Amino acid sequence: MNLATQGSLVDQVNRLLPQTQCGRCGFEGCRPYARAIVEGESINRCPPGGTDTIIHLANLMNERRQALDPGAGNYQLPTVAVIREAECIGCTLCIQACPLDAILGAAKLMHTVFEQECSGCDLCVEPCPVDCIDMVPVSKDSHLPWQAPGEIRSVYNPLDSMS
Amino acid sequence: MRLVNRLLGRRSDRAPYAIFGGIATDAYKTRSLRSRLMPVPIPEKLVLPLSQNLGVDAIAIVEAGDLVQKFQLLAEAGEPGSVALHAPTSGLVSSISNATVADEFGSQRLCIHLQSDGENRAIETVPEADYRALDHLQLLERIERAGICGLGGAGFPSAQKLSLGMKSGIDLLIINAVECEPFISADEALIRERGASVVVGAEILKSACLASNCIIVLQEDRADAIEALKKALENSSIELMTLAAGYPVGGEKQIIQAVTGMEVPSHAYPASIGVLVFNAGTAYAVYKAMVDGEPCVSRITTLTGAPLQTPKNFETLIGTSVSFLFDLCGIDTTRHTGTIVGGPLMGIQLPTLDVPVMKTSNCLIAMSAAEFPPDEPELACIRCGFCAEACPARLLPQQLYAFSRAHDHEQNLAHGLFDCIECGACAYVCPSHIPLVQYYRSSKAEIRAQQRRQLQSQHWQRQFQQHQYRIKKQQDEAPHQISGDAVGPLKDDEPDKKNRSREDGDKTEAVVFSRERAKREIAEAVARVRARKAGHIASSRTDAKSDG
Amino acid sequence: MQTQPSAIVISSPMQHSQRSTGRLMLLVIAACIPGVATATWYFGFGVLINIMLAASMAIVLEACALKLRGRDIRLHLSDNSALVTAVLFGIAMPPGASWWLVAMGIFFAIVIAKHIYGGLGQNLFNPAMCGYVLLLLSFPVEMTSWHIPNDVLVDGSSFSAFSLAGLRQSLMVSMPVFGSAQMSSPDSIDGLAMATPLIEFQMAGTSALLAAWDAGVSLFSRDSGAAWELVNMGYLCGGLFLIYKRIISWHIPCAIIATVTMMSTLFYAPDSSAIYGTPYLHLFGSATMIGAFFIATDPVSAATTVRGKIYYGIIIGLAIYGIRVWGSYLDSIAFAVLLGNFCAPALDYLCRPRIYGHGKKSRSVPTTEVEP
Repeated sequence: MNLATQGSLVDQVNRLLPQTQCGRCGFEGCRPYARAIVEGESINRCPPGGTDTIIHLANLMNERRQALDPGAGNYQLPTVAVIREAECIGCTLCIQACPLDAILGAAKLMHTVFEQECSGCDLCVEPCPVDCIDMVPVSKDSHLPWQAPGEIRSVYNPLDSMS
Repeated sequence: MRLVNRLLGRRSDRAPYAIFGGIATDAYKTRSLRSRLMPVPIPEKLVLPLSQNLGVDAIAIVEAGDLVQKFQLLAEAGEPGSVALHAPTSGLVSSISNATVADEFGSQRLCIHLQSDGENRAIETVPEADYRALDHLQLLERIERAGICGLGGAGFPSAQKLSLGMKSGIDLLIINAVECEPFISADEALIRERGASVVVGAEILKSACLASNCIIVLQEDRADAIEALKKALENSSIELMTLAAGYPVGGEKQIIQAVTGMEVPSHAYPASIGVLVFNAGTAYAVYKAMVDGEPCVSRITTLTGAPLQTPKNFETLIGTSVSFLFDLCGIDTTRHTGTIVGGPLMGIQLPTLDVPVMKTSNCLIAMSAAEFPPDEPELACIRCGFCAEACPARLLPQQLYAFSRAHDHEQNLAHGLFDCIECGACAYVCPSHIPLVQYYRSSKAEIRAQQRRQLQSQHWQRQFQQHQYRIKKQQDEAPHQISGDAVGPLKDDEPDKKNRSREDGDKTEAVVFSRERAKREIAEAVARVRARKAGHIASSRTDAKSDG
Repeated sequence: MQTQPSAIVISSPMQHSQRSTGRLMLLVIAACIPGVATATWYFGFGVLINIMLAASMAIVLEACALKLRGRDIRLHLSDNSALVTAVLFGIAMPPGASWWLVAMGIFFAIVIAKHIYGGLGQNLFNPAMCGYVLLLLSFPVEMTSWHIPNDVLVDGSSFSAFSLAGLRQSLMVSMPVFGSAQMSSPDSIDGLAMATPLIEFQMAGTSALLAAWDAGVSLFSRDSGAAWELVNMGYLCGGLFLIYKRIISWHIPCAIIATVTMMSTLFYAPDSSAIYGTPYLHLFGSATMIGAFFIATDPVSAATTVRGKIYYGIIIGLAIYGIRVWGSYLDSIAFAVLLGNFCAPALDYLCRPRIYGHGKKSRSVPTTEVEP
């Protein structure tokens, strides 16, 4: 049996969401949004997923494709948080904000982000009192080893082909 | 173009089977076979990539400034996929740093830079008195210690291949001396001059993988090598099989099909059907490791191409730079338009000449405009189907091309994109000059990236669940731990935010949380950092100015 | 791994065979020569004029379409595909067709049937046959009237169709700017004979060629009735040349010819109408050869898998015979080929070959696991 058709509809929707847990859709994480979609919420409120996710959701929910809701934010290439460690005061506010427990640190001690664990949700940026957290593009995704002939884009971005 | 389906080579008892597809190409081999196999003089500087197959790095056990002797271990095999690396000559390890390696992108990899002292002092080698007395595990261990990987192309560590084979049991060992790509003649030169050693190497490999049969396979048009091998094979249990010329009969999957008539299942190793394939050069390296006790520090490399005055086969030290070798052959730089490592159909066109020879570099081709005319512009695919006729995996390249153009990866997978061996036969025959292989490579890269993202989001989902679980647990335990806290009961509409602002449990450990105190401390810290930051910015601005 | 982006990454292979699409197309045109030459010999310069008109208009239209689509005109004209379309279309047209008829057909073929679909390689249907069928349906009378220069008919046994006077007359009839010509109307003499060449085989089965040979009549005379046989022989030779040069594969022509032969053997009824004639009649009495070797093998719109090609040929063969015998169009090649084009994508999907290393059962299962 195909993985994509296993479980409840909420599970299926949840599997299509990027799981960044960023909350930009207005819900506390991806699964609550998935539940809301099943209950009738619009499918275009996930900026990290971009057009790809909308297309998949539209196919699953049998709905019309629509452009990303600008109220939720714009699509951007994946990023990760990086703490400028010299400036970190060790307040632990970012640790509390992180939905994935991707930040390590203790009170009054320097904090740091596990790059592999970070989904780039940028929930840690706002609470930081000293603004020492930067969102930087993910290096491994921004460069594909092989590109199609004549294609200048570094990554195939389905947004480009979406009218 | 002719289908190379009719492989007519015959030996008394065994006739080869037909492979799917294939193309006929000009050989261009005779020019590099005119002169004898030559040892290369020792260059002043050797660059040894820690990964000889551009996969997993070996672990360096020397440091910059160390004096090393020939055959001394420089790096040992670590994770699966890595092979040990030995010093090709004596000298000084000048540094361990990044250097450009032989791939299409001009990538930088970690390399050991060795400054030769010109004395070529070797550590004492321990030849194996009688390899027949060793059992297969001992043989395996010697092969691993000698740092031998597949010298034919992909550079898979030989010891790992053998132990994989041992798990499933091996009936047939194939020694692949079919150099089906044009220009390459390294294996032929090796067999012509050191055929007996190759046969001994094959026998060692045979007993190392406990195979019941062993066949050495050659192309039937290489008469000299066949002659030499026949002589070497007298009184040997190893058989000889010749295959009709054609590309890509020397590919691992294709040679297995040609010799046994069996196909390697998709996504499986040949060992799963009881067959192992080793390159003739690998067999020779095994012979050297066993009989002479020398680890793999050199290989036979073909230097050829029209701009070279004396194309020939060299016994090259690993780490010698390509430009050094070209100078040895007398290169006409005015005609030199590019450089290929490997053959013209599956090789790598180098962005720079300053890269080292690796254990997998079987051929270096100096390109000229006459032999390698510039690519013609890509025209529309007319679905002529020549590519499908040529494809040795029996794919439909014209369909894969359309799906790749449309980024339709579901169809790409359904049409077997990952069964493509990137042999380039399709792009070779394409009358519209479409760089098909590049389309497939980019599609494969996209699919892999997609799958990586999928795995990543699964991981994030798990992390989030664990995070929620932890918070829930702390919530449950909270009233007992924190008494008289300022935080009130949770509101239902935004539970998480309240949770987060309250918890920092296991990370801040036993510090009892007090909101007022925390606020005060944060304010103080912010003030401190502001002051420090102001200083930083001022200094970095002056830096930037002085840089700019 | 650190990677520095380099300017141009060149992918293997670095060597290529010498074949090019433009040259393949020219060879296809060259292979038409025997058939076209024979047809011109018998039916006059009208045949050549059709081809020339179609070719020149096709090139202009192709250039305009490329320009509108913002493509490199020189580069894409060099694939010569418009020329092949034009030659096949010109061959299909009745000799002496008016210039506007040719223009309309070739416009539909090049602009509508090809470029609107996305240009060469994207068209689902054979452009030449699309143009031909449009005309056949819209102008049935004009499309079934063969204009043969008067001289030929007056002096039946000579080759005056192949004279300067014949050329002048042919030019006049297709392009009235050259003056008005007194051409034989098809009804005036043996009428529909040329429009429905099958009927020429009144002997139903015996070769007119052999009969003429036995009777000692010159084969090159129109009286011999061997015109269509020889024209078809010409296309057969050209087709065999294409197979020998491996430009087309044998599967489609063989499947078509075998199917037509089988059907006509099965339904052979010597005493009924000539249409149930012998296999020989069906193979050499009409446009079967050019259809099988030149039109059905257009790679863009045909099936491309080996088994797909065979089924594609069988479908076309059945349609040729079926439409010819039980339908109302005697010249059924165009309809049959378009019908085959309809089926081609599905045939390709259903006839995917078993990939190396895949078992027979797992053939249709898409593999999704990929090693990272």
